[in-house]
Amino acid sequence: MKNFQQNLKRLEATDTQVLGVSMDSPFANKAFADQIGVTFPLLSDWGGDVTRQYGIYFDKYKAARRVNFLIGKDGKVQEEQLDSEAIDPSKIVDACERPKLKD
Amino acid sequence: MTRRLSAAKGWLLAAIVLSSAWQLHAQNKKTDVAPPAVKVGDTAPDFKLHYFDGHDLKEVSLSEYRGKKNVVLAFYVFAFTGG
Repeated sequence: MKNFQQNLKRLEATDTQVLGVSMDSPFANKAFADQIGVTFPLLSDWGGDVTRQYGIYFDKYKAARRVNFLIGKDGKVQEEQLDSEAIDPSKIVDACERPKLKD
Repeated sequence: MTRRLSAAKGWLLAAIVLSSAWQLHAQNKKTDVAPPAVKVGDTAPDFKLHYFDGHDLKEVSLSEYRGKKNVVLAFYVFAFTGG
């Protein structure tokens, strides 16, 4: 999440809203956001319904996998990064700065 | 006697090879997690989730950004683990 925070200005400049999601409670996520200095919302998927709907529930940890989805203004998924790939946000930032997503 | 012994050795070797092959298979299976249900090009399923802003629980839906903003949905495993 810190990696997205570091790139937040660039992402916001391309009309992009960042939303973190985990299966923690909203209150745990708020404390986490404060601790690491994240200013975008960290949403609580308590119970994991959305995580399961997106097909990224990881049974072994009883939690979500680390996955980034970039969703365009048309609601379609443009980019997807899984697990260790999802730590570095630069691919997402690059995609947002490509002209086709700007309008 | 010696023939019997070598036959036993052969069986033992076969058993070792089989069991290690099985272990390898099981390991591959473990790391082979199913791909996400939502793929590039799909319409992302709408949701309504909440976050706590320090005063209230705020509702956020994906559909509120439709036609207005791109959205990065960054799923992470647990709060307080890594970044």
